[in-house]
Amino acid sequence: MKTEPALRTRREFLRTSVLGGALTWTVPAFLANTFSALQAEASGSATQSATGKDSTILVVLQMAGGNDGLNTVVPYANDYYRRARPRIGLPANSILKINDAVGLHPGLTGFKNLYDAGQLSVIQGVGYPNPNRSHFRSTEIWQTASDANTVERYGWIGRYFDNACRGADPTVGVSIGQQMPQAFSAKTPTGVSLENPQSFRFAAGRSGANGEMNADEKSFRELNRPPMGEGAENSGATIGAIQGPTAHQGSVMDFLERTALDAQVSSDKILAITKRVENQAAYPASQLGNALKLVGKLIGGGLPTRIYYVSQGGYDTHTNQTGQQERLLQDLGNSVKAFVEDLQAQGNFQRVLVMTFSEFGRRVTENANGGTDHGAAAPMFVIGHKVKSGLHGKYPSLAPQDLVNGDLQYNVDFRSVYSGVLEEWLKTKSQPILGAKFKPLTLV
Amino acid sequence: MLSSLPGSKWNYATAAHLLDRAGFGGTPDAIEKLAAMSPAAAVASLVDYQKIPDPFASTPDWARPDPERIQRYEQIQRMFREEKESAKTEDEKREQAEKRRLLVQEAQREQIRHLEEMRFDWLKRMANGPRPLQEKLTLFWHGHFATSAIKVRDAYFIWLQIETFRQKGSGNWLDLLEAVATDPAMLVWLDQAQSRREHPNENFARECMELFALGEGHYTEKDVTEAARAMTGWSLDRAAEEYRYRPRIHDDGVKTVLGTTGTLDGRDVLEIIVAQPQAARFITGKLWKFFASENLPDRLADALADAFRSGGNNFAPFLRTLFSCEEFYSDTVMHNQVKSPVQWLVNSVRLLQRDLPPPIVATQMIKSLGQDLLLPPNVKGWDGGLSWITTNTLLARYNQAAILVMGQGSLGAEASRPGLKRIAERANEMARQLSPADVGKIIGDDDRRDSAAVIAKLEKHFIQGHLTEAHRQVLRDYLEPRADLNDQDIRHAIRLLMSTPEYQVT
Repeated sequence: MKTEPALRTRREFLRTSVLGGALTWTVPAFLANTFSALQAEASGSATQSATGKDSTILVVLQMAGGNDGLNTVVPYANDYYRRARPRIGLPANSILKINDAVGLHPGLTGFKNLYDAGQLSVIQGVGYPNPNRSHFRSTEIWQTASDANTVERYGWIGRYFDNACRGADPTVGVSIGQQMPQAFSAKTPTGVSLENPQSFRFAAGRSGANGEMNADEKSFRELNRPPMGEGAENSGATIGAIQGPTAHQGSVMDFLERTALDAQVSSDKILAITKRVENQAAYPASQLGNALKLVGKLIGGGLPTRIYYVSQGGYDTHTNQTGQQERLLQDLGNSVKAFVEDLQAQGNFQRVLVMTFSEFGRRVTENANGGTDHGAAAPMFVIGHKVKSGLHGKYPSLAPQDLVNGDLQYNVDFRSVYSGVLEEWLKTKSQPILGAKFKPLTLV
Repeated sequence: MLSSLPGSKWNYATAAHLLDRAGFGGTPDAIEKLAAMSPAAAVASLVDYQKIPDPFASTPDWARPDPERIQRYEQIQRMFREEKESAKTEDEKREQAEKRRLLVQEAQREQIRHLEEMRFDWLKRMANGPRPLQEKLTLFWHGHFATSAIKVRDAYFIWLQIETFRQKGSGNWLDLLEAVATDPAMLVWLDQAQSRREHPNENFARECMELFALGEGHYTEKDVTEAARAMTGWSLDRAAEEYRYRPRIHDDGVKTVLGTTGTLDGRDVLEIIVAQPQAARFITGKLWKFFASENLPDRLADALADAFRSGGNNFAPFLRTLFSCEEFYSDTVMHNQVKSPVQWLVNSVRLLQRDLPPPIVATQMIKSLGQDLLLPPNVKGWDGGLSWITTNTLLARYNQAAILVMGQGSLGAEASRPGLKRIAERANEMARQLSPADVGKIIGDDDRRDSAAVIAKLEKHFIQGHLTEAHRQVLRDYLEPRADLNDQDIRHAIRLLMSTPEYQVT
């Protein structure tokens, strides 16, 4: 196997420092010195153009479980909608209206504010040909930007790292959570994942001064998942999160060594930022709110990251959908709105674009359990200072003769959205990353 | 055809590999004992576990139908409905909502307590019980039929399901599938209990084909909807907390599933599924990936499926074949599997010859390594393999190694919700009180004079012979300058070994 020079250097470093580092609990300074040397090396590398701290930043927000798009961007005046959803259809007078035909779910007040400020665009009817109704396969299709009938090993974000960010600082991609999304899978493993900056570090010594927790470091970590026992309202919980498998090119041992090194070179930096930077907005105390709060700090602290990844689960609403979806969308809107306010106060909002996705929308006709089953096309949201706000794409027809197996037909291929984001926001050629030419959707 | 491992290749390394994969690893003494047997006898000592008395088998006092628990649950539901629908004043509603909140909180705490107890009992069986393969296989089934307490909300149901895996996990595939299809936790988890003739719920039918028995691409959407019709009638008696077949909600019409037409019921559908050639390939492939390797060449997949079928679709004979075949001991399989967090923790306490940390600490540890036992992230279970390793979880492994070896560690658990703050604080407090490992058991005073011998011994104990020379040198650099190695020096060396990439794989 061909080993890249960068990796060999890293391995060399590892030999003298991961182990060496562990040895130095009597000499903590050794660790600090090694890190600063390595950081100096990284900052001098030729790849700063990709990771420079004034570059644009993309935040990918996964809504895991298959969000019901029809009750998110609601065609409230459509008769077919009323007929298909006698129980869970949202009353027209509750809708946050965008125009005479569609409006947002009443829980999305946060998004409505952003929409009114010209900072949110809605892409209607996004999907792909021959949609798959499996959570896992469809998530994989979105994460790897593949066709429905081909299996890609690496993620679309991973291919962006491989193509455009070679040799970059590992923090070029940051996923909030314990696990890495499949979208980050790359030939050369790139990116870090972290849940709680306080524990995201190598404890070089016995507990003591540096083992004590700082009371100001508030939790980013979920000790337990959302509350249990609240009626039937955890119905969507069958899908708490979907990460997908990790792949890379090389041996298991290479992967472990690389990851250990990436962890070390990024952990101190991240901990220092989270200690230094204060959030300038109040975030909801939810998992998503906490994740975006951490992203807000990292952006404020100037981490050279191009792509952040956060996830919100629970959208698999086969039963009793109404309450569950409302809670989730409220949390989504409020968390993103707080994030935008935070970035605005920092003066960083013009550098950041947020893009949401879910593996599929849901069936047009409600089921008998007050929920909806797996479907196809659904809207995506893109939020940013410079977005072309408004409605993009065409709302798919709800007329029974236009449905495919009871599902909405897509109008926009999700890879056109990726293409637009790659070309216009991350300023890189999309074709080598997406494997084919997709007409970039103009978003910014 | 699979060929058995020749006796000439049966040695300390292959015996260690068997003990790691069919169980949770062991000390050099345990490995030597296994290596002294014939390969067939060694495999039998793990696979034929039903013959071994299990003093760890026990039933917690809460693991039974409990009318009071059901009443409390119903009361919460009733209050919830009333708040929404009744003509009460806003003040009355608020008061009731507060009462309900307290009831929910109490129920939740009880649930967390029961899950923690049950999780710890299970970890103890893995770490110290006489039937390691039974527990390893139960862990496999838990990841395969991944059911989370987050939705099931009844620790008793979760306990029942794990017990079903334990009792039937090495038996017949069709029997196990049927047991799972009618298992209360599964009936709740995939909504089968809510499925009715008039409007079948597809959730279980779909995952049964996609995730449990066939794999994506081996059935049509039509098969899913037809199977869902056939499966109606599988239901739950919530008051009695048990499975109930309800003929009145069963659709007894004609259905066609995977090419077979008739007035099929759920059991028929499971029979049809298990009879598919793909069924044997699917489940044996998944077992291979769990016990052996992510890599499964087509020819080997065929051979495994054949072996399974010729053993009557029974798991015990299949596992005997798997653990005996030469392929299981190949270079690409050995030392090439990332330890799951549960494997990592249980293996570590076994190697350190120490007790598991207290339940609350053990729970936090595996959770922060990415495996929240009894709370899998979704119905597909944990992805496993390389996805266990991220910057986040690898640092956590290195830090937890320090806690297990040195004791008095800082776990760094934090709660995101006020209700869970006490749990986090207690976990941190308990971790700080943890005693260091008694390394005298591993390296006695008389063995400490020669640092080269110490390294060789530690390497055999913790890494089983695949430490890279570069890492060995670091250990030398550390130990050689130190005269009269004391317990703390040995601990540091062990912690170092546990913080290597080599220690993360088996």
